[in-house]
Amino acid sequence: MNSRLSLPRFRLVPGWSAAVLLLGEVVLFSWLLAPTDGRPHSFANLENFALVLKYSAVFSLGAIGAALIIGSGGIDLAPGAVMALASVVAGHLLTDAAWGWTTAALASLAIGTACGGLAALLITVLELPPFVATLGTMGLARGSAFLITEGRFYDLSAHLPRDFAPLGIPLPWWPGLLVLSSTLVFHLLLTQTALGRHILAVGSNPLAARYAGVHVGRVQAFVYLCGGFLAALGGVLLAFVQGQGKADLALGYELDIIAAAVIGGASLSGGRASVVGAVFGALIFGVLRNALTQFPGGTFADRLVLGIAVLVVVVLDRVATRKTLLDRGHP
Amino acid sequence: MRCWVAALACVALWTLGCQPPGEKEARQLRFAFIPKALHIPVFQYARVAAEQEAKRIGGIEILWRGPETTDELRQKEILEAFIAQRVDGIAISCLNGDLLTDAIDRAVDAGIPVVTWDSDAPKSRRLAFYGVNDFEAGKALGEGLARLLGGKGKVALITALGADNLQKRLDGARLALRQYPGIEVVEVFDIRDDAVRVSEVIATGTQRYPDLNGWLSVGGWPVFLRNALDPVDTTRTKVVAFDTIPPAPDLVRAGKVHLLIGQKYFGWGAESVRLLHRLRQGERLEQPLQYSGIDVVTAENLDAYLEQWRQWEQGAQH
Repeated sequence: MNSRLSLPRFRLVPGWSAAVLLLGEVVLFSWLLAPTDGRPHSFANLENFALVLKYSAVFSLGAIGAALIIGSGGIDLAPGAVMALASVVAGHLLTDAAWGWTTAALASLAIGTACGGLAALLITVLELPPFVATLGTMGLARGSAFLITEGRFYDLSAHLPRDFAPLGIPLPWWPGLLVLSSTLVFHLLLTQTALGRHILAVGSNPLAARYAGVHVGRVQAFVYLCGGFLAALGGVLLAFVQGQGKADLALGYELDIIAAAVIGGASLSGGRASVVGAVFGALIFGVLRNALTQFPGGTFADRLVLGIAVLVVVVLDRVATRKTLLDRGHP
Repeated sequence: MRCWVAALACVALWTLGCQPPGEKEARQLRFAFIPKALHIPVFQYARVAAEQEAKRIGGIEILWRGPETTDELRQKEILEAFIAQRVDGIAISCLNGDLLTDAIDRAVDAGIPVVTWDSDAPKSRRLAFYGVNDFEAGKALGEGLARLLGGKGKVALITALGADNLQKRLDGARLALRQYPGIEVVEVFDIRDDAVRVSEVIATGTQRYPDLNGWLSVGGWPVFLRNALDPVDTTRTKVVAFDTIPPAPDLVRAGKVHLLIGQKYFGWGAESVRLLHRLRQGERLEQPLQYSGIDVVTAENLDAYLEQWRQWEQGAQH
């Protein structure tokens, strides 16, 4: 008789495993928070789900960038700071410099992308470790935002019409729309193009990728530029939807963004990532943040629960990967 | 895997659609209280008083939720979550009143009465504000320091830039100090709402201005830590600060601080519950700005103040 503990036959597919977790989480909280006094359900209602989407949008955009970067074997500590800088630049240009909203938004996106470009330069040309390079760009972005604002904030809401609808689309729809379109574009890029395969190849083994003819430096530069652009998109979203440009916005968001990408199937050792999974990961945290406010003391516990969730997913992932290797005959 | 997803989706839909089990409980009023952050100690007194007042009135449940740290977006997210939950009233201490204005207005439009406490959102349509008049409180602080200095000397001010209420206190303190030509404000330090940074600022400020005669803090940072004022020779340099929560009274007793301005910490909770309850009863408030007044604490009245504090903690009506 085989005395070895036999593991259940399942494989964590990046993206889908996060979808299962998200659904499980929604079911669990719907059950736990079911009202007993005849009131409408306080968690499972459309308005509340829309709220989760709205507040998860900046994390989702950041997590897409993180998935690409982590998939390529890198790490980015700067997205929160880039978001703040982008929101401040948009606020400054719209309110102080009286630019139009389109040019202000485009300039913010350019600044954010430039932050990604700077990180790429430090990593590919000066060969700094990504952790150190993005720690530097994080400080530069946050510090620049504080220098521009001098502790004040830009009130964009006072300069925008009440029914502001960029390109004819109501403002409240933009977070969902941007997340959906970014997910689609970057999912196709990662799964259906040669560049996507190169990103994962560089993350899996940069030396082998180089021997196979992949321009490793260009691929790395591309993912950090994308990361900067997506973080800036989050910052512009914060500035226009929340109505303020402020230097201390999105403080500490980088860790939640990295965690969302990891829960969504990105391997911190590189070579594997899922854009769809990263967005599901951000939604998992969004649901958690939303639901835990409904439990007494719940907001104290959300960091703990997030930590446990990340550990469980990573351990399950490690176990499943080892089992797959064993099944294939690897020692 | 896709089968698992589909199965879970079915369970989710069933859960969302099914009616909740269990007996119907008696309907209580649910008042949501949102402090600036859960880790700020002064708000615990407001919580104690809110729960005591809710118990005293009866039929009220206090939902005390807030961001773990002073994260403005997180506070707005929690506020909007409470609007989606259709609570019966919201009392909020605003981290950033302008950022919350739109959400507060939506709550009021949805029939949820909103009162602000401690820190206001003056541009919003909130139905009442309960807290100190920050400008007047700042003036009292400035006048207190000027009296302690005999109307002359060099002083440094401590604040955190960005918060509306702190700016008003600073303006009030500066106006009061300007009435004394012999007093010179040598510097205003921004400590970014960081209780650790304040120690550094006080130490370096003391070295830079060895002839400094007074420190004035529009927030409680120097008195939240027992050792932040250690570099200051308080026999010749006077210290005045906002807030009277422990360990601040011990510092007054030890002679490290000479005057404190206390806010109505218990009143934030108790009065907000009373205001929300009155609004739920259909009452209209004639005066939305409910200024609480301040407590001026010095070594002379410290014991009486601490006795009053003990009674509030034990449930005496505020």
